This record gives sequence, C-alpha cells and structure tokens, in this order.
Amino acid sequence: MVSTLFIIAGGLGAAFLLGLLREEWRGFAYGVTLAALAFMSWVAGSWLWAFVFDGAVGVDVFTAGHNPPFAINLRMGLPEAVLVLLVNAMGLMVGVYLKGTLMRLGRRAMAVLLVAVLALCGIILTRDIFNLFVFIELTAISTAGLVLLSADARALGAGFKYLVISQIISILLLVGIIFAYHATGTLNIDGMAEASVALMKGGTLAFFLILMALIVELKPFPANGWALDIYESAHPAFSALFSAAFSAAMLFAVDKVLLIGGEPWPKIATGVGIVTFVGSNLLALSQTNDRRLLGYSSVAQVGLVLTVIGQRAVLGEHYLFVVGGILLAHSVAKAGLFWVSGLVVERQLSAWAVLRQNPFLVFAFATFMALLIGLPPFPGFYAKWELVHALVSEGRLALVVFILFGALLEVGYLFRWFGYIIKREASVESAMSKPVAFLPRKLVVIGVGVVSAWGLGYIWGALSDFANVLQALPVLFALSFLALEGLPAKLKNTLAIVGLVAFFAISYENYNQLQLIFGAIILIGGAVILLASYETHGKRIGFYPSAMLMYAGLAMLIVAEDSFSFFVAWEILTVGSYFLILRGKFSEPHALSYIIFSLGGAFAILAGFALAAGGAPRIPLEALAQVPATLAPWVFILLAIGFMTKTAAIGLHIWLPGAHAEAETDVSPMVSGILLKAGLFGLMVLLLNMGKTQFYGVELTYVLLWIGALSALLGNLMAIFQEDAKRLLAYSSIGQMGYAVFGLAMMNHLGWLMALMFVINHYVYKSMLFLSVGGIAKRTGTRDMYRMGGLIALMPLSFIAVLIGIIAVSGVPPLSGFGGRWIFYNAIMTADARLPMILIFLSGPVAFLYLFRLIHTIFLGQLKDEHRRLKEAPFWIVVPQMIYVVFLLGFAVFPGLALRRVDAFLNPYFPNGGLNWEGLTISSDFGYWSPVSIMITIGVIFATLLAWLVYLNHNAQKVKQFNIVFAAERPYRPETTHFAWNFFAPYRKALGFMVQPFVTQFWDGLTGSLHHTAQFTRKLYTGNGQTYAFHLLAFVVVVYLILVGGLV
Amino acid sequence: MVYVALITGFLLILMGLYGALTNRNILRMTVAFSIASTGTHLVLVAVGYIPGRTAPILDGAVTAADASLRIIDPVPQALVLTAIVIGLGVTALMLTYAYKLYETKRTLDISKYTDLKW
Amino acid sequence: MFEWMKIPYALLTLFIVVNYGLLMTALIAKIGARVGRRHGIPIYQNYIDLIKNYGLRSSITHGFMFYLGPVFRLTGGVGLILFVPIIYGSEVFSNFSFAGDLILALYFIFFGTLGMALGAGESGHPYAAIGISRGLSQVTMAELPLAMAVFAVALQYQTLSITDIVAAQQGGILNWTLFTNPFAVAAAMMSFLGSMMRPPFDVVLAPQEIPIGPPTEYHSSYLALMQTNRVIFPIAKIAIFMSLFFGGAASWPVFFLKVFLIYMVSVFVGVVFPRFRVEQSIRWFLIWAVPMGVLGLVWV
Repeated sequence: MVSTLFIIAGGLGAAFLLGLLREEWRGFAYGVTLAALAFMSWVAGSWLWAFVFDGAVGVDVFTAGHNPPFAINLRMGLPEAVLVLLVNAMGLMVGVYLKGTLMRLGRRAMAVLLVAVLALCGIILTRDIFNLFVFIELTAISTAGLVLLSADARALGAGFKYLVISQIISILLLVGIIFAYHATGTLNIDGMAEASVALMKGGTLAFFLILMALIVELKPFPANGWALDIYESAHPAFSALFSAAFSAAMLFAVDKVLLIGGEPWPKIATGVGIVTFVGSNLLALSQTNDRRLLGYSSVAQVGLVLTVIGQRAVLGEHYLFVVGGILLAHSVAKAGLFWVSGLVVERQLSAWAVLRQNPFLVFAFATFMALLIGLPPFPGFYAKWELVHALVSEGRLALVVFILFGALLEVGYLFRWFGYIIKREASVESAMSKPVAFLPRKLVVIGVGVVSAWGLGYIWGALSDFANVLQALPVLFALSFLALEGLPAKLKNTLAIVGLVAFFAISYENYNQLQLIFGAIILIGGAVILLASYETHGKRIGFYPSAMLMYAGLAMLIVAEDSFSFFVAWEILTVGSYFLILRGKFSEPHALSYIIFSLGGAFAILAGFALAAGGAPRIPLEALAQVPATLAPWVFILLAIGFMTKTAAIGLHIWLPGAHAEAETDVSPMVSGILLKAGLFGLMVLLLNMGKTQFYGVELTYVLLWIGALSALLGNLMAIFQEDAKRLLAYSSIGQMGYAVFGLAMMNHLGWLMALMFVINHYVYKSMLFLSVGGIAKRTGTRDMYRMGGLIALMPLSFIAVLIGIIAVSGVPPLSGFGGRWIFYNAIMTADARLPMILIFLSGPVAFLYLFRLIHTIFLGQLKDEHRRLKEAPFWIVVPQMIYVVFLLGFAVFPGLALRRVDAFLNPYFPNGGLNWEGLTISSDFGYWSPVSIMITIGVIFATLLAWLVYLNHNAQKVKQFNIVFAAERPYRPETTHFAWNFFAPYRKALGFMVQPFVTQFWDGLTGSLHHTAQFTRKLYTGNGQTYAFHLLAFVVVVYLILVGGLV
Repeated sequence: MVYVALITGFLLILMGLYGALTNRNILRMTVAFSIASTGTHLVLVAVGYIPGRTAPILDGAVTAADASLRIIDPVPQALVLTAIVIGLGVTALMLTYAYKLYETKRTLDISKYTDLKW
Repeated sequence: MFEWMKIPYALLTLFIVVNYGLLMTALIAKIGARVGRRHGIPIYQNYIDLIKNYGLRSSITHGFMFYLGPVFRLTGGVGLILFVPIIYGSEVFSNFSFAGDLILALYFIFFGTLGMALGAGESGHPYAAIGISRGLSQVTMAELPLAMAVFAVALQYQTLSITDIVAAQQGGILNWTLFTNPFAVAAAMMSFLGSMMRPPFDVVLAPQEIPIGPPTEYHSSYLALMQTNRVIFPIAKIAIFMSLFFGGAASWPVFFLKVFLIYMVSVFVGVVFPRFRVEQSIRWFLIWAVPMGVLGLVWV
C-alpha cells in the first residue's frame, strides 16, 4: 500500500510544481492539478479498499524519524480513509467542475485548491494538536483564497469576515494548545488523552479553548454569520467543498479532540450541535436566496453531526455507522445541491424551476433532497433509525424531540423548494428564452454525486443490521421505471399493471386474511386504477417511478413483520405518494402540507417504535404487546398520531382536500382509494397488538372513538359546502376514514369487520367517484359543480357509476354500503361508549346531502349551452368505473365472499360477537340480514312497478329543457335556472359554525409564527464582520458560563 | 519575569481583540489582530520559559547529556516560530483583502460591507 | 326454500294498507279542514284523485331518471311495508321481514327519497331542486333523534329484530317503550313530526303557495304512483314507530287504531303551529330533540 504521506506529499508536490510552471501552460497545469487530486484520491481509495476487503488494521505513520510525542504522527484508520477519500474525491470533482474558472485564473488558483485539499487531509490524519492548528490555519488561508474564485464581488466582504473570524479562532486555539501542553507535557492528541486527568485538573480552560476553537469552525448557531455569507457569495463549487469536505474534516477534528476531555465535554458538543441544528433549520425557513438557504442547511446538518458526536457513548458500536451515515449523506447531498445551484442563473428559489428542462436534474435534486433528509434508502435513514433508538433507550427524549423537530423544519423548506422546481415558472425572461444548455462537464459531476448517493444508500443498507432497502424486490421494480422513462406511457402502464398483478400472484399465498384484503386492494385495485392511465399520452415522465414507489411501499407495509421494515415501507410509500400528488397542476402547496404532515407522522412513528423497542434495534410488531405498562400509552399515542396523519383524522386533515382534489385524474383514486388505507392498516397493527391502553386513567381507544366520530361528522359537514366536486369527494374521505377509525376503536369483532368493510367499500366507490368526476372534469374543463348540470344524457355511463357509487356510500339498501351500516349498528350494540355514536348518527344523513349534491348538480338540472356537444368521458377512464359497478353489485349480493374470511380472521383476536354465515342470511347476536333476499325483493317490486308505469305511460313525450311549469315567469338561461351554487344554504346558516376553519387557522398560526421567529431572528446576522466577531466571542463566553454554571 | 510576560501577552491579546471589535477601519482591525497575535506569541513563549535555565541550543555550554535539566522547553519556541509565520501569512492576506475591498467601494469602513446579511 | 305463498300474502297486506291509507288520509284532511272551519273533502276523494291520475293520457317526460323517480318512490314505500312485520305474531302478515331487521327498514326509508329526488332533479325545475335541498337539510337533523331513540331501544331490548322488540313490550301497556324509556320515545316523536310533511316542518313542500318541492313537475300516472306512495309510506313508517315504542299491534283493528292515533300527533301539532324555515327547524331539533335523545340513551 502506498504510504499515507503521499497524500500530503502529492498535494504539496503538485502545488510546488504548479509554481514552477509557466503562466501560459494552463492546460498542463490544470492536468497536473487533476492528476494530483486523482492520485490523492487513489491513495485514499486504496487504503479504504484495504481496510474493507483485505482486513487491514489502522496504522500510524511517523515522521522525522522519531516516535511521538517527539515528532508528528499521522494515523490512517477506516474512518480516516473514508474521510480522506471523501475530501480528495470532492476536491477532484470540484476541480472538474471549476475547469472554466481555474483555466481563467491560472496555476495559482489551482495550487490554492490543492493546498486546501491537502490541508483538509492533514486535519483528518494528524494526531498532533499543533499540527492540527497548522493545517487549520492552512485551510483558513486557502479558504480565503478560494472564496475569491467567485464572480460575485460581495465574496470579498465575506472572505474578509472569514479572516477576522479565523484570527480569533487561531488565538483561542494557540492559547489553548500552549496551556494544554503545559499541563500534559505533550502535543500528541493521544498522549493528551492519556494525561487527561492532569489536564482536567488545572487546564480545563485550556481544553475548553481548544474545543471551542474547533467547534466555532463548525459554524455553530448563532455565531455563524460569516459562514453564511461565504455560502451565499462564493463559487458554488467552492461552497460544495466548503460544506462537504471542510465540515467533515473539522468534525473529525472535534471528534479526535473530544477524546482528550472525557466526560462531560461531549455534552457541549451535543448542546451546541442541537441548538445549531434546530436554530439554523428554523432560520432557513425564511430564506429566499438558494445558496444562503443551502448554507443554513449545511450549518444545520453539521450541527446534527456534532450532536451525534456528543452522543458517542450512547451509540457504542454503532457510532461510526450513525455519524458516518449522517455526515456522508450531508456531504454528498450538499455538494450535489451546490453543484446544481451552479447551473441556475438566478438566485431566488423559484428560479430553480429551470431544472425542469432536464429530468435528470430533477431526479438529482430529488436524490439529494432525500439523501439530506434521510429518507430510505439513503444512509441518513438507517442512521436516524439507530440514533433515535439509541437515544430513546438512554432516556434522552428531549434530544430526540429536538432532532426530529429540526428534521421536520428541514423537510419543510426542502420540499417547498422541490415544489417550486416542479411547479413554478422560472422567471419571465427564462420562460421566454430558449432552453438552457447545461454544461455536460457539470452534469457529469452532478451525476457522480447522484451515483455516490445511491451507492452510499446501498452500502449503508448492506452495513446495517437490517434488510437492505435497495434489495427489496418492490423497490427495485419501482426504481427500474427510472431507467424506462424514455418509453411511451402506454407501454410503461402495461408493465406497471403486469408488475402489480404478478406481484400479487406470487405473494398472495403467504398473506393472511387481513393482508389478503389489503393486498388485493393495493395490488389488484391499483392495477384497476392504472387502467385509467391508458388515457394519457406521451411519456409521462416521473409518474411511473412515483406511483410504483408508492405501491412498493404499500406492498411492503402489509407484509412487514418488524418495526424497521414497517417504518421503511411507511416512508417509501409516503415519498412515492408525495411525488405523485405533486404532479397535479395546482398541487404545490397541498403536496407540501401532505409531506410535512406525513413525515411529521412518520417521526412520531419512529419515536413510538424506538420507545417500544427499549434498547433493541428493532422489534417484531407483535412485541408491541409486551411494552411495559409505563411506556405503553406513550407508544400508543405516538404511533396512533403517526397513523392518523395518513387517515387524515380531524386536526391532522388539512392536507387532504387539496392533495386529493388537485391531483391528476387517475392519481386521485390512487391516493384516496388506496393510500389512505395505509393509515388504517397501521392502526390495525397497533390495536391488534396493543389493545386497550390507559393513559392516566383515560382509555385511549375511547379517545380514538371520539376522534373517529368527530372526523366522520366534520369531514362530511365540510364536504356538503364544497363547490368543487373533487374537493367534495376529498372531504368525504375524511369522513369515511373517520368511520373506519371509529369502527376500529370500538375494539369489538363487528367494529373491526365494519372497518374492513369500509376498507373495501371505500376503495371501490371512492376510486369510482374520483374517476367519474375526473372524467367529467376533463370534458367540461371545470371541477365546479355549479358550472355543470344536465349531463346525464351526454354521459350516461359516468352517471351510472356515480349513481351506484352514491347509493353505496350512503348505505341505502340494496347495495353494499348498507352492509357496512348494518354491521355498524350491530357493532355499537356491544361497544362501551354511547355518546360518540351520536356524532356518527348525524354524519350518516349528512353524507347523504353531499352525495345528492354531487349527482344532482352535475348530472341533473339544467344543461349548459357550452356543454351541449360534450361526449362521454374518455374510454379508459370509464372502463375501471364499469368494473367497479359490477363489483359493487356483486359485493352487495355476496358480501360473504370477502367478509366471511375476515370474520374468521378476527376470531382469535375478538372471539365474541362474530357473525353467523349460515345459508343466505347473515346474523349477529342482535339482528339479521339477507342480502340476496333484499336484492330480489327490491328488484321484483321495482320491476313490477316500472312495468306498470311503462304500461300506463309508454307514450310519454320527451320535452325540451325549458318546458317546465314555472309559475308566472319563464326560465331565462340554464345558468339562472340551475339551482346548484351554495346548494345547502340553510344548512350553512344553521350549522355553519361547525365548519369554521379552526384547524387550518391553528396550523397556519403555527407555521406563521415559526416563519416570523425565523424572520425576526435572522436579523441577528447584520452582515457586519465586527458583529460576527462579537457573536463569536459572546458565544464562547456564554458556552463557558453554561459550562461553569451548570454542567460541570 | 514569567508572569510579567504572561500578563503582558494576555493584555496584548485583549487590547487586540478590543481594537478589532471597536475599530471600523479594516486596516486598523488588521493591526489590532497583529497585536493580538503578538500577544499570543508572547504567551506561548512565556509558558515555555523555566526560570533559571538557558536557551535550548546545544553547544559547548549545554551538552546533550544534561540538556533536559538546563534548558528551557524548546517546543513552545518551535511553535512560536510556526505561529509567527502563519500569522504573517494571514496578516498579508488580510491586507490584500483590504486593498481589494477598497478597490470595490472606495472605503475601508467594515460596516459598509454588509451586502450579505440575514 | 322460498315460500311462494308469501307473495299473495304480501299483496293482501298491500291491499289492506292502501285502502286504509286512502281513507285515513282523507279523514285526516277532513279533520284538518274542520279545524280551519272548512268543510273539507269527501272521504272517498283520494280514490277519485287516484283513478283520475292513473287515467290521464297526456304525459311528458324529462328523461330517464325523471321517469324512474316515481318508481323508486313507490318501490320505497311498498318495500318498506313488506320488510316490516305488520301484525305481531302473524305469520301471514310478517311478509318479507326475514330479509332484514330494523336497520334495513331504517335505511330503506332513504331508497324512495333518493330516487324521487333524482327524478325530480332531472326535470330541471329549480323549485324541485330547492325543495330537495330543503328537505334533505331538514331530514338529516330530524333523523338524528330517531337514530338515537332506535339505538336506545335496541340497547334496551338487546336486539335489532322488530319482532323481538314488539315481543318484549307485550303483557300490558306499562311494558311499552313509551313508559320504559319515555325520553327515547319523546325524541323519536319529535323526529316523527319532522318527517311527516306537516307544519311546522312542511317548508319542503310548501303546499299552499307556488308549486314547490320535488313533485313540482310530476303529473298524471307519475303523480298517481306518488300519491299511492303517499298513502302507503306514512303507514309503513308509523308501523315501525308503533312496533318500537307503542307495543306493536297483534291484530288489524289495533293496528288501524294505533296508526291513526300516532298520525294524529303530527296533525295536532300541525294545525297549531306555523311553519319553520329550514335553519329554524334544524336548530329546533338540535336544541329540543337531540338532548331528549341523549337522555334516552343515558337512561337505558
């Protein structure tokens, strides 16, 4: 193996060589630079290879012919190898990216780049504290030089501010070093660690100064204004290096130095880190400049790593896995994002919409975003899981809360940004101008970033104790659509349908009854909805990977056996569905609130699982039953909240109407009919395993009962006041899910059966209604119901679908909805609570109101002039509807086909109160019901009466639209005659107070106050270098006071 | 003697920092930092000094055998040399910056360079 | 195996109910007229109207749903009467009650309403739509106390079977739900007022002024079907109330008497009170009937 020294030597040598070259030989100089960087990367890589594959052990490299402490020694171990490779590879990529700038500025700039890289390597490798100081100073000087690569004149100011700060840092560091040396008699870090006791006796302050000097280099909030200025003004390629490599090196330095201190110093790291993480993420919320935003985000991420470094003892053997996962994810993602920012001309966030011109860049952004946030399958995801579990098992709950809160803030601004990219117009000028040509060289660099991101994901998956997400068949299937994006949509659609059905075919034998119901809905149901997707033309880029990712997550969710695989599936389906929802034309804000609620919920689930695990890295889901009684209610609450973000229980529902209504025609049924069931499935898992749980004497299932009832009532009430047909359906979903939650919360056999019946029914009729309404909206060009009317003759098939749908939803016999109601009444007979039923009683008839409005204002009443030539909804949108109609009729007559199995499945859990399925009559302990008899009786009566009417009235004449009895007036226009707008005005007068948007106001107020805090706090960063210097000194003093006063 | 040097060193550091925080002129700030780093160097040397011993140079007066008893600690001196060099580099860079900054806005007032903020 | 004899029995039931209904509604109209110092219609007037409307030749249609509306409506009425055991203890007049219990009856009430509303909607007449909007708004709130009362009764007797509920009330007038759970009955009767299309809850039809409400556009045989329903449907509904709260009926005379008396409750109220607007009636139900229902539920 090549000696580690060659990394330093290679860099230095090349830098010197550059000094000797002639100014004109720029190409050659550039070649030398890249070659040196490549060589250094290769050395680092070969070490890494040796550590990983050849089982090499770490070595110390001695210099100057003496052993430490008389000479400097460098250490090369696994972490060092990884970081050095990171730094060098990053340097190489930056070198490639910066080709234009470097060629323009010449060999000196290249030398500075080389020096910066080798200095960073030095920081990582050295075990000598003074040597560390030297490398840090070298870094500072080269940074100040590289800042000037930027074309932005403001970078000068930023560079000077940085120099001011670095002066202060060097003073702190030097004073600290000399006194530490005085106390221990050595400059060797390991030597100091051995002499830790002596040092801590008299030299606490010295060590404090060293530590603070290094921490301040990590840009802790709020002493980091200078760093933000650099991020904002420097060349993005340099910012990438600054964010990825500098931070990595400095974090490693802190990690090394913390070895010296022992307890309680890591607490400082954690404290500073968490304040930085939360504070910077908060301030990032109100940023409008992309690079400054990335700067805030960088600072925050580094804060997170610092937090984790402080928790080394807690993490034990997982320390490197966790800290490495977060750090590498941050480095690659942030570098990638800075590189991408180099392609965007304007600095406001919405200007990034220009990336849309190249789908690869959108994919790259999504990758980096997911990498940064720690979504599966990226390293941060595994790391987050381990971290939260470890922290929770040690009882550091407050820290977990802060970490998750900060992460949620990050989710907020990153996904908001992604929404801008997908939905906003770049700007007036760029919209007019020709497509932007992105430099291929830069695209390659970004491509390397993307590949390393996925590579890291794979590696971390393989390193983890869990299943590798990137080896799960469903995920691979979904991701393979990325490679097929060039194919026409119709072909991809066929593949998707075949894939879903095939996966069901291979897995259904292993499903239990419950899984079978969900599996059939997800996979077969998903395939049926996809039939409607044949309607689209072109390539439909982005649709299939997202949709398949969602289905993959769902398919993995129902077979998950332990907490980890459940959580993986949960996040995957969340992310997939987010991309899917975002595709709607006006979906941007709704998709954002969806992802924030969903990931917020996911974090609650994560915390819940961690709490339940009690130190284990993961638990089988059945083990939820064994959670100790003191923790059980908390686990229950956290998990229930998480799952209810998906079922859109009242209070957590505000994302749903917009998300479902604005989604594309074939996406609405997917996210409504199928996706919502994930939440229900989660609740089922929770309730099956944990059962009734007391929280300070309050029965939690009883609370759920109220939540379900309230959701049912308020969801339905809000639905009746909607003018937009899809919004109406969306609100109705809130109500329907409320019913299902209510059924589950009853915790008896029939309650569960009802919930499962809702699962099936809701999928069918909500998918059907969304498709009908979507098809109509496609034809009429509006979703406002009062603009429609009288479409029954033009769109008879859609009408039939809606008619069957609303009969089924409202529970009127003879269709399958009635079965649900019948089971409901039987279920409440044995429920413990009575009062919540009242809300459900009311919400049933209220549902009738909006359903009637839906069918009346669209299909009945007056046909508008502009609609007279409309045709039936597109063929492929009608096909699935007709399938649903047939299914609903069949399910109405033979509900036993599905329900009987579920009934049997529920027996072990709820032995009492099952149904009796003998003959044609279904009976419970209280009543009975015979679907076949009902259907036949009603059918015969109806047919007889119809025949009679036809006999009497066979020659009835069809009259024109305005031929109606209109007292003393004549109808004027369809618009004024169609009674549709504000259809239930009296209802609003009487009960409008119940649909005041209190919940929306609450969440708006919350986000608003966060933004105001951010807006207010960021004024701290005045832009004045002296102020920043003062911040820094004040920061050091405050930390010292806290240290003296509290911790030690 | 040692304490005088130490105290002087710290005084210089504090003076330097004070100067750097109160003077808006970039050149004055640079000078102030120079003062502060000089103070640091003084502290460094003072810490390594041991009363009654001689300079850490092996010559006729001090042999290698009894060096450890007769000379002061050589390490801080070595450190100081390095620190001085680095300090010089940084100061030079600051001055370059000052020049460049002056070129852009024709002023050396640091409070005028707040285009980047928030 | 299905007993085919059920069909003639069902037809017999229908025959009895239709004739009784025709006479009773005429009688009640007459009573109402007398209260208003008018002479009122002859007792056989309903027969004349019905025959006339069935005989009318002129007829138009506004479309498919318009045509089906009355069919739905009458199917609702006929079906309801056949799904409910009319005479307690009588195999002959239990009809198709084997198909479902109380819940079926309650939800089947909506069948006719829905079909009717759809048919009227297709006529394109705004007054029909307004009537439906008002009617639906009102009925949601009127249904609430009834649902609570039904739940209370079902809990009280631990069954959802109408026959079993009636059986539990046998053995004396004090065994009626009216006396064992007066709050539930009060709630149910308030709800009953709301569903009988009489003042103060008749803004849906507003019979005296302009033609308004769902039937606006219906005429001739359509109207005849609906009139037929209007004599069957209230009786079917009252039969349910009777079975749940007033001990049911073991013979036709008792049935006739109880139905008439229960119907008269709404007449008494109706001739005294003026008409509510919809939001007023919603509030009325919310303030007076719903607490009654809550008490009934708690009482059990």
